[in-house]
Amino acid sequence: MTLTETRPQTQEVATGDHSQPAIQSPAVQWTPPTGLAGILSTGDHRVVGRLYVVFSLLLSGLALVLGVLIGIEKADIDGGFAVFGNANELFQVFGLYRTTLILCGLVPLFLGLAVAMAPHQLGASSVAYPRAAAAAFWTWLVGAITHIAATFAYGGLGSHQAGAAREQSVELTVLSLGVIGLGLLMGTGVVFATLVTQRPAGMDLLQMPAFCWSMLVACGVWLFSIPVLLANLVISWVDLRGADAMRFGAGDAPFEQVAWAFDAPQVFAWTIPLLGIAAEVLTTARGRRPKMFEPMAFIVGAFGFFSFGAWAQGFFDSADPAADDAHVVTGEALFTVFALAIALAVLAYGGWLAFNAASAGQRPEITPQFVLAVASGGLLTAAAASGVLRVAEPALGVLREADGDIWRGFFDAMDDLGESSLVTGLMNFALLGGLLAAVAGLYHWAPRLLGRPLSAPLGFLSVLALAGGSILYGLTDVLAGFFDQPERPYEAADLGAIDSLGFVEVLNVIGLVGAIAVLGGLTLVALNVAFVLSSSEKADNSQGGEI
Amino acid sequence: MADIPVGTPLAAPLPRPRTLLAGTVFATAATLMYFAALFAVYLRERSDALAGGGGWIPSDADIQLAQPTVAAWTMLMSAVTVQWAVYAVARDDRAHAIMATALTGLFGVSVVITTSFQYTQMGLAADESIAAVLIYAISGSHLVMITVGLVFLGLVAFRWLAGQQVSRQADGFVAASIFWYAVVIVYVVIWTAIFVLK
Repeated sequence: MTLTETRPQTQEVATGDHSQPAIQSPAVQWTPPTGLAGILSTGDHRVVGRLYVVFSLLLSGLALVLGVLIGIEKADIDGGFAVFGNANELFQVFGLYRTTLILCGLVPLFLGLAVAMAPHQLGASSVAYPRAAAAAFWTWLVGAITHIAATFAYGGLGSHQAGAAREQSVELTVLSLGVIGLGLLMGTGVVFATLVTQRPAGMDLLQMPAFCWSMLVACGVWLFSIPVLLANLVISWVDLRGADAMRFGAGDAPFEQVAWAFDAPQVFAWTIPLLGIAAEVLTTARGRRPKMFEPMAFIVGAFGFFSFGAWAQGFFDSADPAADDAHVVTGEALFTVFALAIALAVLAYGGWLAFNAASAGQRPEITPQFVLAVASGGLLTAAAASGVLRVAEPALGVLREADGDIWRGFFDAMDDLGESSLVTGLMNFALLGGLLAAVAGLYHWAPRLLGRPLSAPLGFLSVLALAGGSILYGLTDVLAGFFDQPERPYEAADLGAIDSLGFVEVLNVIGLVGAIAVLGGLTLVALNVAFVLSSSEKADNSQGGEI
Repeated sequence: MADIPVGTPLAAPLPRPRTLLAGTVFATAATLMYFAALFAVYLRERSDALAGGGGWIPSDADIQLAQPTVAAWTMLMSAVTVQWAVYAVARDDRAHAIMATALTGLFGVSVVITTSFQYTQMGLAADESIAAVLIYAISGSHLVMITVGLVFLGLVAFRWLAGQQVSRQADGFVAASIFWYAVVIVYVVIWTAIFVLK
C-alpha cells in the first residue's frame, strides 16, 4: 500500500487459518486534526481558499496603509519629508506599495476565490492538486511576510541613493519576491489545471461560468508573465551576490527591472478576473443567465492577450533616447496599439453588459455586490481611458506636426504624461477596480465560501467608502499628471517641473482622503468577513461539523 | 431498475482526467517562458555591448567550446533514451524501461558534472562583468532544471517499479519525458546562444 491509496476501514485479524474469511472489526474512524494543526495540514480547497482570502485582504490593507503614508508625503510635496526619513525610504515604500498591492493582495485574492469556488462552479469535488494548492498558499505567505520584513530592514528593491540600503536586505527582498512569484505560479498552475481537467464530461471551455473563463484567461497570461518576473529577479539576485553589483542589482535597478509589472499593459493583466466576476454578479442581479456568452469570452480573451506586458521593459531602453536607432519601449507603436486595444476591449465588454441589461427587461436587485461590480467596471474603464491618454503623446505627434498653433495648449498638456503621476493613477484605477471586483465576488459567493452571507448594511457602507475613495484616489493622480507631477516624486529636484504646485497639493490632499476612505472600506469588509467566519465556526462547532 | 436487453454494449467508461500531464505541460511552458526571458536579456545586453564597440566576454576568461558540445550531445542522447523509457513502459517492458531510465539519469548527472567542471576552468568571476552575471544566471538555472527533471524521472520510475505505473496508466512517464525534452531544448539554446556565439 502506498500513501496515495485509500485508508482501510477494516482490520484483518490474523487467525492462522487463511481459509477462514477475515474477521470484520468496527470501522476505525480517522479524525482530521483541528485548530492550528488542521489549518497547517489542510488540503481542503475551501479552507485553502479562505486562507488566501483572509491573508490577502490583510495584506491589501497593509498596502493601502503604505498608500496613505505616501499620500501624506505628497500632500505637502515640496515641504521635505513628513513621514519618511529620506528619499530612499520613500523609494522603498513606493516599491513595497506596488508589490504588496498586486502580488500580496490582488492576485492571491483572485486565486483564493478561484481555489474555493471553481470546483463548485464546475461540479468537481476539489481542485486538481489540493496539496499543491496548500503548498502554493504557504509558499506565497512565507514569501510575502519575508518580503515586507526585508524591506523594512533597510532592504527594498534596490536603493535610490548609493549605500542607503543594506545590501543583504536588498538581496533578501529580491529573493522573497521570487518566493512570492513561485507561490503564485504554483497557485496559478493549480487553478489552470483545475479548469482544464476537472470539468465534467460534456462541458467544454465555453460552457464554463464567466468567472471560470476569466480565470482561465488570467491564469494563461499569468503563467507567461510571472516567469519573466522571476527571470528579472534571478538576474538581479545573481548580480547582488557578487562583491559589487554591476548593473542588474546596482542602485534602483532591481525595482526598475520589475517596474513593467506595475505599469500598463501588464497592470491590466492582474485584473482580468474582474471581467468574469462583474459578468456573473451583474447578470445574476437581474435573475437571468448571460446571453451571447461567446462574444464575451472572445472579449475577455482579447483583453487578456493585449494585457500581456512582460515585453514592455523600460529598463532595457537605450541609454540615449535621442539617438536615431534608440529603443524606448513606451514610444513603440506596439505599446500604443496595446493601449488602444485594451480600451476597445473594455468598451466592447461594456456593450455586452449593456446588451444583457437591456434584454433582461427587469430592474436589477440592488445589492452591495451589484454596486461594487458596477464601480469596478467604471474604474477599469477609467484605467483604460488613462492608458489611452498615456500613449496620446506619440499618437498626437503627427497632428502637432500638421498644425501646432491651434491645439498648442492641448498638446502641451499631453507632453510627458507617460512619466507623470498619470501612470500611478492608471495603476490605482486598475488595481482598485480589481480589488472592488474581488470584494464583489466575496459578497456574491459568501454563503458558499464563508458559510453564510455577509452583512448587507455593512456592505453598503463599505461600498460607499471603497467606490468613492477609489475614484478620488485614482482621479487626483491622473489630473495631477496634467500638471506634470512626476510619477516618482522622491526628491525636491524631481518637483521642479510641476505647474501650479498649490493646486497639485490640493489634488494630493483629496487623493489622500480617497486612500483613507478605501482603507476604511476594506477594513469594514475584513471585519465583516471575520465576523461571519467566527459565527460560522461557532455554528459548525455547535453542530459537531467540520469547520 | 430498467431491463437491459442482452447484448447491449456497455457505455464507454468516462475518460480519466489527465491532471498530471496537464500540470506538467503548464509547468514546462512556464519554465520555457522563464528561460526565454533570460535569453532575451542576454542577447539584448550582448547586442548593446557589441554595438557600443566593447567586448562581451572578458578577455581573460577562457570559455572552451569542447565541454558544452559534449554536454549538448549528451543531452540529445538523453532525449532518445527518455523516449525509449516511455516506449518500454507503454509495453510493460520492465528491463528496457529500467535501462532507459537509468541511462537518462546518467546522462543528466554527467551534464551537471561537465557544467560544474567548466565553471572551475573558465575563470569567469560573477562580479567581473555583465556577461558573467547572465551566464551564471542562465546556466545555474539550467542546472536546477536538470535536477528537477532527474527528481521527477526518479519519482515516476520509483512508482513504476513499486507497481503503480502500468502500461495503461503511463501518464507519469510521459509527463516526465515532456519536462525532460524541455531540459534538452533549453540546453541546446544555451549551447548556441552562449557558447557558440560567445
